[in-house]
Amino acid sequence: MLILISCLLLFVTALALMVLRVAQPIARYTWLVAAGGGILASLSVFLWLAQLPFEIALPAWRPASLFTTPILFRADEISWPFSISMAALTLAVLLTAAARPVFVNSFSWVGALALGGVGILAVTADNPLTLLLVWASLDLTELITQLRSVNGKSNNEKVVVSFSARAFGLGLLLWANVASAAGGSVLDFQSISAGSGLYLVAAAGLRLGVFPLHLPYSSESSLRRGLGTSLRLISAASSMVLLARTPTESLNSMASSLLTILALVAAIYGGWMWLRAPDELNGRPYWTISLVSLSVISALSGNPSGAIAWGCALILVGGSLFLSSVQLPWLNRATLAGVWSLSSLPFSLTAGAWLGRLGFFMPFVIVAQALTVAGFIRHALRPSGRDSLESQPGWARAVYPAGILLLVIVQILLGFIGWDGALQVGAWLQALLASLLTFGLVWATPRFRILNPIRAHWVTSTTSRWSGVSQGFWSLYRGLAKISQSISVTLEGEGGIMWTLLFVVLFISLLAQGSP
Amino acid sequence: MSAPLLWIAIPFLVGVSILFFLRERFSAFIGGSVAAILALIALIFPIDEALLLGSISLKISPSIQFFGRSFEFSAADGALLAIIYGLAALWFFGTEASGTANRFVSLGLMIVSLLTASIAVEPFLFAALLIEIAAMLVIPLLVPPYQKPGRGVVRFLIYQTFAMPFILFSGWMLAGVEASPGDLGTTTQAGTMLGLGFAFLFAVFPLYNWIPMLMDEASPYVAGFLLWALPTFTVIFALGFLDRYVWLRTSPQLSNAIQFAGVFMVASGGVFASLQRHIGRMMGYSAIAETGLLIIIMGLPSSEIVNLTFLLLIPRGLVLAVWALALSILKRNAYSLLFNEVQGLARSFPAAVTALLLAQLSMAGFPLLAGFPARLAVWQELAGQSLTMTLWVFIGMLGLLAAAIRSLAVFVMADEEKKWRVNESWVQVTMLGLGVIGLFILGMFPQILQPFLADLPSLFNRIGQ
Repeated sequence: MLILISCLLLFVTALALMVLRVAQPIARYTWLVAAGGGILASLSVFLWLAQLPFEIALPAWRPASLFTTPILFRADEISWPFSISMAALTLAVLLTAAARPVFVNSFSWVGALALGGVGILAVTADNPLTLLLVWASLDLTELITQLRSVNGKSNNEKVVVSFSARAFGLGLLLWANVASAAGGSVLDFQSISAGSGLYLVAAAGLRLGVFPLHLPYSSESSLRRGLGTSLRLISAASSMVLLARTPTESLNSMASSLLTILALVAAIYGGWMWLRAPDELNGRPYWTISLVSLSVISALSGNPSGAIAWGCALILVGGSLFLSSVQLPWLNRATLAGVWSLSSLPFSLTAGAWLGRLGFFMPFVIVAQALTVAGFIRHALRPSGRDSLESQPGWARAVYPAGILLLVIVQILLGFIGWDGALQVGAWLQALLASLLTFGLVWATPRFRILNPIRAHWVTSTTSRWSGVSQGFWSLYRGLAKISQSISVTLEGEGGIMWTLLFVVLFISLLAQGSP
Repeated sequence: MSAPLLWIAIPFLVGVSILFFLRERFSAFIGGSVAAILALIALIFPIDEALLLGSISLKISPSIQFFGRSFEFSAADGALLAIIYGLAALWFFGTEASGTANRFVSLGLMIVSLLTASIAVEPFLFAALLIEIAAMLVIPLLVPPYQKPGRGVVRFLIYQTFAMPFILFSGWMLAGVEASPGDLGTTTQAGTMLGLGFAFLFAVFPLYNWIPMLMDEASPYVAGFLLWALPTFTVIFALGFLDRYVWLRTSPQLSNAIQFAGVFMVASGGVFASLQRHIGRMMGYSAIAETGLLIIIMGLPSSEIVNLTFLLLIPRGLVLAVWALALSILKRNAYSLLFNEVQGLARSFPAAVTALLLAQLSMAGFPLLAGFPARLAVWQELAGQSLTMTLWVFIGMLGLLAAAIRSLAVFVMADEEKKWRVNESWVQVTMLGLGVIGLFILGMFPQILQPFLADLPSLFNRIGQ
């Protein structure tokens, strides 16, 4: 029931804001309503700790003989860290909104609250069917939000490409379900067969842009800091939960090595581009790719709880950086707590991230992690191009830092309490090596030209590297379209009936030969 | 009052009256209301059971004799009639928003009543004749007055007419098979005849080429109605055959042939849909793929055939209605339904485009939407039998998904300065909005169909054994 309470708090607040927007467009207390809803929702998720684990089932689909899997949500040591991270991010978006240039009851507050609710539903989904439904609602919400906010043919096309990648990810998850049914078992996260486990990882990888490497989110959207941050991070984390729920036993196959290599390539590429991105918002797609890839590697190495750690880091560490729009030196330094969270050092958020079998992939993983952390340090310390709090009223000056600090506090706290990955010493030697390499990269960045940031207009998110593959795909598509057109012209033309009857006779003779 | 009079004669006569005596602007309301009332009666009043309302006792008698033939409904037919007339009401109410002429409602009512008669007629082989008459009544709907019929219309009529002699002839042979079940030659011939008859009725590959042609040349709303009505009643007719003749259900060759035809339809329909550049033809191919799913279900060695069939048929009516309505709104405002004519229309007709895309996604089995629960159930049942067949069905559905994504890409590809603006009328927005809400409700809570589905297996009680 607590799951529903937390989500309903977010949804009802979003609904209240919409009603207020229509009934009292100039009401001054709407932000208080929004923030109040966010605070209550975050507190309610903290309360889950008192009852973990617990679950809630929605009315079963019928006929029962056809639908054996219930729609079930479960709060446990996997879903709680994700849920608290999402609730905290939603609250932080609303708190930091106080310092934004446009401060009115906007569509973005409603969007952030609704996304937080759907995100929590996604991470608490206890079986693939439930996850499919929540993913679909998240995808449709994101599609509508993005289409409303972008202009121009090319940006619209990027939104559709991103939606299609996620829709085909849904297809892979569905196929995992079908493959499991073929083996005579019902697919749930507890009893996934070896074949189905890889489909699940591939589905998450496809949705997240790792398999094949592509950037599902464009950086040109006008939704930049508030709702944009919420949209990108929650959407990604809701797919990462699948990695955390995939049991180790289901991943023992040759294909998992291949997937690890692909994920490593994506992680190193993402980390490299993140380090060299002109600013944090232009680099955000690479941040996502990089952390998501590290999460996939953790899951494939037999350590699903590592995927939780990277998922929470994606939301909390990323959120604290992307929501920072105001120049406050002490707050910038506080944001650097994210370095600790990303370091995998003992008792940090990601301490348990590398407890799996990495084998000879380890050096590459260290490189990828170091690139990501170095990029984070560079962007967190970059002082230029940010607003000031000077012109803001007193309460806004107090509330804005609280939003950023909330994310910092939660990421430190998660290193100590609440889930299986907390209070771990972890692979400290590997963490130490990654940290040394990180500081080396930070030292080298201003000194070596190759590590210098690239210009903003050179950061082409989806098109450039993806264009080769897409050109090949379009050539194949055009070829198939020509064949289909020839068949249609033949069958629909003057002699179509004769051709059709000829085909019918052919099929009957083929079937007759096949029968005894 | 007898049931055949109520659900066959009355709607037919109302249809005739609307055609000759009623003004166009009232026809949608009258036709829709009559169909809705008939659906409600079917839902509330049990057939052949006395119902006491105070001191008045009401009883709907089950049968009537007409020219030596009997028309019969059983108590279990109530749910089926409610579904048929409920969905028909949806189509008739939508005519106002689609801008279709009053001939749609009048002829539509006549067609639905004739097709309903095909369920009730005994001997049941006469259903083939009634379906043929209904198909002929569709022609005035498809061809505007004083215009020459297009090639698709002619081909539709030819194929439907081919179906009738094959089915009647097979019925005559089936009587012989029943008399001497060991005669393998007669059995094979009867099976082949029956298969050919249903291949024409269902428009099995390659006999389905009239569907995309029709979507090209006829009104999308009328073509959509045709794609809903004929396959729905043909499925019920086919289930009647499977129920009556045990050897049809137990013959592995026939079962394989049925499944092969179904899989081929789904895969080819999906792939062809993804390769079209005309959104009307996409709808045609999607309907073909879904008919393929229905055929696959009929070939499944499962006791859930009836449940699966109706779980698929009910949302199909809603999805096609929403899709056809959206298409007809767009067609009235665009020169044609080719991609280059409808590009960027999402900003000027957001309600129609949203409804169209959701209907298309629903047909592709996108989660949350009406088509998903039925497809999930079909995949699970089919996977237990053959993973290869399931893969082909899956490829077909991915083709439909690709088609939906292509449509989306075309619709949203608007110029930078183009603003969002709702150009649909309030009637259109309301009808589309209700349809879209229905798509989501059926997708998230398919259990609401349970009151209808619960009684239906008793109509075909030997299939489930």
